[in-house]
Parts: sequence; C-alpha cells; structure tokens
Amino acid sequence: MNLLTEPIGAAHYLAVGAVLFVCGAVCMATKRNALGILMGIELVLNGANLNFIAFGSRLLHADGTPSIGLDGQLIALFVIVLAAAEAAVALAITLNFYNNHSTVDVDRADELKG
Amino acid sequence: MNWHTVYFLLFSLTACGFALAVVLSSNIVRMAFYLVLSLGATAGLFFLAGADFIGAMQLLIYVGGTLVLLVFGVMLTAQSPFISMKTHGGDWILAAIVGGSLLAILMQSAFSMPQWRVGPATADQATIATPTTTIVGEGLLGVRVDAMADASAAQQAGVLSGYLLPFEIVSVHLLVVLIGAAYLARAKRRRVLREAEA
Amino acid sequence: MGLSATLPTLLGIAWLLPLASFVLIVFFGRHMGSHGKGAAYVACGAIIGAFLLSAISLCGWLGEHPLSAARYEAATEGGELAKAPVEGVAPTEHAAAPPVAYSGDWYTLAEVGKLKISIGWYIDALTVAMFCMVTLIASCIHVYAIGYMHDELHEVTDHEVKLSDGHPFVRPGRFHRFFQYLSLFSFSMLGLVISGNLAMTFVFWELVGICSYFLIGFYFERKSASNAANKAFIVNRVGDFGFIIGLMALFGAIGTFTFGDTKDADGRVIARGIFSQIRSPENGYQLAPPDGMVKSAAADKVGEIVLDHRQMGGEAAAQSEIASEMNDWRVDGWGYGLLVVAGLGIFCGCVGKSAQFPLQVWLPDAMEGPTPVSALVHSATMVAAGVYLVGRCFPIFTQEVLLVIAYVGCITLFIAATIAIVAVDIKRVLAYSTVSQLGYMMLSLGVGGWIAGLFHLFTHAFFKSLLFMCSGSVIHACHTNDMRRMGGLLKKMPYTGYTMLVGCLAIIGTGIPFVAGFSGYYSKDSIIAQTLSFTNHNPVHRILFIAAAGGASITAFYMFRLWYMTFIGKPKDHHVYEHAHESPKVMWIPLVILAVFAFGIGWPMWGLTNLLEQARPAGTLETVKGAIIWPGLEHPGEHLSHEAGIHVPASIIAFSTALAGFLLATVFYAWRMVNPEEVKNQFSRLYNFLWHKWYFDELYNAVFVQPVMFVSRRIADFDKHVIDRFIDGCALAVRGISTIDDTIDRWLVDGLVNWVAGVIHSTGLSMRRVQTGRLRQYVLLIVVGTVALFILITFFRSSWAG
Repeated sequence: MNLLTEPIGAAHYLAVGAVLFVCGAVCMATKRNALGILMGIELVLNGANLNFIAFGSRLLHADGTPSIGLDGQLIALFVIVLAAAEAAVALAITLNFYNNHSTVDVDRADELKG
Repeated sequence: MNWHTVYFLLFSLTACGFALAVVLSSNIVRMAFYLVLSLGATAGLFFLAGADFIGAMQLLIYVGGTLVLLVFGVMLTAQSPFISMKTHGGDWILAAIVGGSLLAILMQSAFSMPQWRVGPATADQATIATPTTTIVGEGLLGVRVDAMADASAAQQAGVLSGYLLPFEIVSVHLLVVLIGAAYLARAKRRRVLREAEA
Repeated sequence: MGLSATLPTLLGIAWLLPLASFVLIVFFGRHMGSHGKGAAYVACGAIIGAFLLSAISLCGWLGEHPLSAARYEAATEGGELAKAPVEGVAPTEHAAAPPVAYSGDWYTLAEVGKLKISIGWYIDALTVAMFCMVTLIASCIHVYAIGYMHDELHEVTDHEVKLSDGHPFVRPGRFHRFFQYLSLFSFSMLGLVISGNLAMTFVFWELVGICSYFLIGFYFERKSASNAANKAFIVNRVGDFGFIIGLMALFGAIGTFTFGDTKDADGRVIARGIFSQIRSPENGYQLAPPDGMVKSAAADKVGEIVLDHRQMGGEAAAQSEIASEMNDWRVDGWGYGLLVVAGLGIFCGCVGKSAQFPLQVWLPDAMEGPTPVSALVHSATMVAAGVYLVGRCFPIFTQEVLLVIAYVGCITLFIAATIAIVAVDIKRVLAYSTVSQLGYMMLSLGVGGWIAGLFHLFTHAFFKSLLFMCSGSVIHACHTNDMRRMGGLLKKMPYTGYTMLVGCLAIIGTGIPFVAGFSGYYSKDSIIAQTLSFTNHNPVHRILFIAAAGGASITAFYMFRLWYMTFIGKPKDHHVYEHAHESPKVMWIPLVILAVFAFGIGWPMWGLTNLLEQARPAGTLETVKGAIIWPGLEHPGEHLSHEAGIHVPASIIAFSTALAGFLLATVFYAWRMVNPEEVKNQFSRLYNFLWHKWYFDELYNAVFVQPVMFVSRRIADFDKHVIDRFIDGCALAVRGISTIDDTIDRWLVDGLVNWVAGVIHSTGLSMRRVQTGRLRQYVLLIVVGTVALFILITFFRSSWAG
C-alpha cells in the first residue's frame, strides 16, 4: 500500500515500463505470427521509452537531485522515430517472407538452423 | 491520493492490462487493437510525466503511423490459418518463467533506489508542467535553452550542443529505410516465380 | 769424360727408354695408329734404341778395357789359402784383383739412420753384356710380336672362353696393351740388371714379377690363364719371402745394401759395399764374415765385455777388447752362420724366380701367355734374373750355400728333363727344357763355375728364345699347340723348321769335340768340365756329375723328339697340315737373326768368356777351401777345368751323351723303328708319374691349397652364419622396435590428436544444435542472457567495486 499512497516518483514509471517490457519480451517469445512478434517489439520499445521519459521528467524527481532532463525526452523521440523505421523494415521483410513462402509462421522460417 | 496518482493508475493499468491482453490473445487482429489501446495509454503516461510533445508524437507517429502500418500488414497477411496460431504449451511456461524472472529483477531494481521514489518537494511542482514543444524544437535545432541557465561557462562553450546531428542522422536513416523497405516489399513478377518453381 | 760418367748415362737412358714407351702407350696407346698399331712401333723403337745404346756402351767398354787373355792366367797358381786370415799379413801377391766396376747413385730416395735407399748403378762387364743380350733379344721379340699379335688389332673371338649361353666370348682387341706390358717388362729387367744395391734389385725383382703376371694373364678371361698368372706370382712370392730374410740378415749385420764401394771425388773409399766388406782387400779377397756379422752373432759375448768394462775402463776400452777378440771369434765360426743364412735367403728368391726345385711348378703353367711372352720373359730374361743374381752375389755365398745351390740345380735339371720327355704341348716341352737348363746354370754356379754358368745363361737366352719363337710360328700357323696333331711341316714352313733345327742343335751342344760347335756346345762343355773337376775334388758328390751328363742325354732326346714330331714324318692331322703356312717376314726375320746368334755367339773368337772374365768377382779365381759347416769341401778354381786332365774326358762324355740322346730320338721318331706308344704302355706307371709332372701340383694342392681353402670356407661359414645372423638379428630387432614405434605413433600420438579433433568436432556438432533457426527461441535466449547479466551485476557488484 505504501506504493499506492506515496507520491508518484520515477520508480513507479519504471515499474510500468518493466511490465510493458516483459510483456513485449514474452510476446516476442511466444507468438508464432510474425506480426505478433512485431507487436512485441513495439511493446518493448515503449517500455524503454517510458523509462527515459521517467528519468527525464522534472516532475518525478526531487529538486537538486541530478536528472537527465530534456535528454530523456529527446531520446524517447528518437526511439519513436527509429521504431517506426524499424517497423517498416520488419514489415517489408515479413511481406517478402509471406510472398515467398505463403506463410507468416515464424516456425517455418528455420532455414538458418545449423 | 491526488489526481496525479489517480490518473497515473488509470493510464498505467490500462497500458499494462492491454499489453497483457496482447500477450495472451491469440487472434492477430485483436492483438493489433489491444496494442493500439496500450500505446495510447502510454501516451497518456507521457503527458502525465510532463513530456507533452513526446506524448503527442507518440500518438501521432507511433499509434497513428507505425501501428497503422502494422494493421495494414495484418490485413495483407490475414488468411484464415494465420489469424490465430496457437503456441505450444511448453513455450508458454518457458516464456513465463523467463519473463517472470526478468520482471522480478526489474521490479526489484526499480524500487531499489531511494532517489527514484521521491517526487518534487512542493505539491505544486508535482502538477505544474511547462510546455516543452519549443524547448524540444530548439534543442533539435542545436540550442539547448533548458540548460542555458545552470550551465557553466565551459559547458556553454561547446559541450552543451544540441540534437542537430542526431536529427539529421535520423532523417537520412528514415530515407534509407523507406527506400529499403520499398525495395524489399516490391511485387515480384509471377512468371519468374513459376519458372523457379518448375 | 771417362767411362765412369758416360756408361751410367748411356745405360741409364737405355734403361729408361722402355719406361718412356710404357708411359706413352699407357696414355695414348689406343690412339696410336689404327687400332693401336702404332704402339708396337713406339715400343720397338724404344727397345731398339736401348739396344743401340747398349751396343755403343759395349764398344766404349771394349775400348777402355780391351779383351785380353783371361785374367786367370795372372792369378795364383792354385795355392791354398790359410784357413783364417792372419792379422797384419799383407795379402798374397797373386790374389785376384777386384773387377773393374763403376758404381754410384742417381737419386737417394730416403736416408733413415743407417739405411740408405737409393737408385744407383753397378756397372761391370757383366752388366754391359747383359744389357746387350737383353735388349737384342727383346728387340727381336718386339718385332716378332708385331706379326704374332696381329689378331689383337680387331675384335677377337676367344674360343677358350665360353659364355653362359655356350657362345664363344667376343671382345675388342688389346694390341697396344701387349706392347705396353712388354715395355714395362723391358724397363724392369734392365733396371734389375743395372741396379747398384740389393734394395733396388728387390724392387725391380718384384716389378718383373708383376710384369710377368700381366703378361701371362694377357688373355685374362680364360680361367687357365688367370690361374696361371696367380700361380706364377704367388710361387714367386714364396721365394721372395726367403729373399727378404736374406736381405734382413745382410743388412742387419752389414748395414748397407750397396754392391760397390762409395768413393769420393778423389777415388778414396768412404763407405764399403757388400762385396768389399765380405771379401775385404785386407783379407786377400777371401770370404770372411765382416765385423758386423761376427758382432751380431756373438752378441752375448759382446754384451759381457761391455758389462765388464762398464765398471772399469768405459767405452773405448770395451771397443778395443772387442776388436781384439774379433778374429778369434771369426775363427771359431761366429758370424759364419749368419752369412750362410744370408746366402741361402738370397738364393731362395732365385729359386722362385728361376723356377728351381721346389718352386718349379709355375713355369709350365706360364705358357698360357702369348708365345712372345714365353720367349722373352720365361726363357731369356726373367728366369735368367735368378741366375744373374746368383752370379752377381757369388762373392757373398759361402761354400755351403754354393753346394746347396748345386744340388738344387741338379735335382731341378733332372726332374724337368724327365717330364719333358712325355709332354705333348710344344710350349710345355720348351718350358721344361728352360727349367732344366736353368738347373744346369745353377749347378754350374754351385760347383764354382762362375764363367761357365753365366756363359750358358747367355747362349741359352739366344737359343731358347729362338726355339720359343719358332714354336710360336708353328702355333700361329697350325692354331694348335698339340704336337700329336703336327708332323711333316718342314716343307710348308722351311724358315721356321730350319731355324728351329739350329736352335735344337745349339741346345744339345752339337759340335765336333775340340774343334768347333754351336754356341751351346761351348757353354755346356764348360759346365760339364767344371762339374767333373768339382767331383774329382769331392768324390762324395759324384752324383752331380752323373746327373749333369745324364741330363745332357735326356735333353738331346726330348729336343729332337720335339723337332721330329713337329717337322718330320707324315702329318697326323690333315686339317692342320692344310692350314699350315709360313709366317710373314716380320716373324721369320727375327728367327733368322736369333739363329745366327744361337749358332755363333759361343765361339771363342768373339770372346764372350773373356768379357765375362773381366767381371769375375774378386777372390773367386782360386780353389776355395775352408768351409766351416762341411769342412773338407773344396771348390776348384775355374781355370783348373781347362786343363787337359779334366777338359778332355768332359768333352768326350758331353759329346757322347748328346749323341746317344739324339740317336735315341731319331730311332723313335724319325726312323720309327720303335713305336713310342708301345714303350709308353710298357712303362705306363712311370709314364703316368712323368705325365703328371711328378705329382708336384697335386702335392702342393693337398698340402697348401686345400688347407687354405678349408680355412677360408670355415671363415666364410662363420661370416655367413654367425656374423651375418647377428647383423640380421640386429636389423630385425631394429625393425621390431620401429614397428612398436609405429604402433605407438599411430595409436597413441595420432589417436590423441584425432581424439582431440573428434572431441572438438562433436562439441561443435552439439553446439550447432543451438542454432535452431527458430526466432522465438532466440528471443528467449536474449532475455535469458539479460537476466543472467542482471544477476551478475546485482549480486557480484560488491566484489568488483571493492
């Protein structure tokens, strides 16, 4: 209960971010659909973004303690942009894969097995 | 309990819940929709943390662009056998164990630092947020107006530069990605494929 | 320049000319003329050049030392000599003076302590005469050989050598090699004649031996020829063993090898040679062991005296006492034995070289060589070297040694003559005849007939080489040596036949007694006369005379047997008779030349004996008594044999025995009144004994050859079964060890390496399985890795930070 009553600090955001991250990781690990994995990637990136925002927020840290300030937000911005780019590429790969193999099941994409 | 906390709980629970739903759902279309909701809630968390510009960008770019793209992809590949694919039970357990351990570690480390659990001293400080668009924009152009005040002379001189370079890099990066993706996903001639198969 | 300088130069060049020819032919022989024919001209040129130089030397010698009446007329009246020399007494007035001899050294090879080995000369009348004789005969034979060895100018098919497939052996011709060896032989023989010391004599002794080996084994692919060459060399070596013992005895006691004295520029004697030491002028040139020999023999007594004086007077006193005792010791006979040993040793060498009993076995086998070789080496020169050495070393032989020589010669002449009666190979007959005649020479020298023996050497050289060359001519025409297949060849080969007749007449000593005769008549006469004289003085040795006379008879018999079987009568083999033809001019002209010499060389008008008389060693003229081992032995002086009381009976006996033998041969083989076959069957046991050469070869084979072969076989077996087994065992052991090493290497070392590689491979294989290709698994692994990293950082941060 202490968690709920105390004022919101960076830690809470970090916790949320952790949850999102783990969900995304599990999603990546379990989904057989390629697009499902993509969705996991989005979740992971978002979890990371939350962390950055939390650390860069003026409202979540005590005065006088060091903080990364604006850097956090800008990093989050860049992450968003890069996530978009990466999603585009991943989608292109998936579509390519779908065109060649007529399936999006990643379990079928095991030709690189040693 | 103030409104900050309430809103926080609201958004965070939404985000986590729908993220969980993404994980647990087996229907790809539903997963896409839950993801949209989860990311929207995340944007709200951004707003709460005072990063209004970033939150807006999240909604614009991430939800409105990336996820739409994802939905398009779902649409293009949504054939009946692919819509819901079941995962092996063993994989679930393994993932759960690994994920669980990671979650435990992350949680433990999140709450381990006392500095991170302390908010600003005054209650006013906790809720007043200054608009950051201009600051972010200026920063992207190379001027760090937010750090001007408490920077020493040395820092002002050269170290405290802006985000101009990363901005440009990212722009080029996007261009490259666009071209690449467009090339990768081009339509192949059917005839070549048939010959290859024969 | 006096003779003492020109003679060595002339004779030296004459000696070295054949050596130059040899060297030229060795290096360039094959390229001289077509197929090497030019080699013959080079060799002939060299030897004829040597003959011319020898003739010039002879003329020079005769100019300086004209032939006068025999020296012996100026000698003692046959007075006796004191048994032992008396100190301080002047030598007898009529003691014979030493002969004129020039001696000196060309080159000193080594001088080690007392030993001085040098190349030097000792030239007296005998040397000059020998040079002329050797070079003349050698020239004739060289020219003869040009014709005889014609076959060797092209490829030769040797029918006596069969290859393994039965075909006869074909080989390229060796014409130039023959003349190469002949030149080398000429050089060696002349070196032996001119040599001035015994060491040089020994060197050239061996050289003529090796040349003989080369020449006998000229057709070396024939087993018989190579065996014969080996036999000749080995038997000669046996004799040389005794020679070396004699040399050691001489040198050890006397300290020098040189024959003549070494004189300084003024003619005074610096060092005495062998002859002067053993027959010293102070002693009247009588034989006496020199001081060195006496001292060696009486070494114990000398040691005693030295020991005695060591306490008292010292060195000088010891020496003076030794000197005073010396004569007494000499009288007692100390040192005499050593002298006898030296003489017998040197004679041993001569036994080997001149094929005397018991080493006569090599000469008949030596007939395997080509006939020119037999003519030159084994009749006229090399075998004469033994007689020459006995003649040269005559002054140092004691009476006992001389008697041994006489007996050996006597036995030899008898054995050889009897074997020659039954021999059917024309060259074998002549070989045995040579052995027999050498026996005559040794007998003559042994009974004191120095001139007689050497005179016979000279005449024998001429008629024996003539006989051999005639037989070679016959063989060349008939292609066979077997007399049983010849006959009636006189019409077909007149030159050969008549020259051979001259030779036969010469050898049997044909002549009209007291008037004239062939050369052999004079020499044989003088031998028999001297033998008779000796046996008159020593009646116990009458057997010597009987053997000599009987031998003359047998000689006549077998020589004319040979001549009749070859030239008279019906031809026995028509094929041979058809084929026979006279030899070419290059072959019969030397025959005629030699026939002339064989006929006339012995005539008194040429004075050969007078020439030899000039070389008579000092002190050998008078009757000699004073033998110590066999006292009473008396060697009469040679001039005594010319007295009527000896000379007349000797001549008559010689003539009648020769006539008897001649008549017997005529009866058997010319008139065919008695069939030789029937006689042979009647005395078949005797015949077999003679046919097998008195079983000497079988005896030597059993006594010497077989034991050596036995021992060698045992040693070969030992080598094969013990040593080879051991070595093979070692090799097998090494192989075994190497096999073990190989196993270890393959199983252990390779196994280890392969195992490591295998482990790595399987590790890689198993690690490959991590790459499943499944995306989701990769994601899981990433997360797992992250978790692990977290754990590490969290829980172990403390240890790093500290």
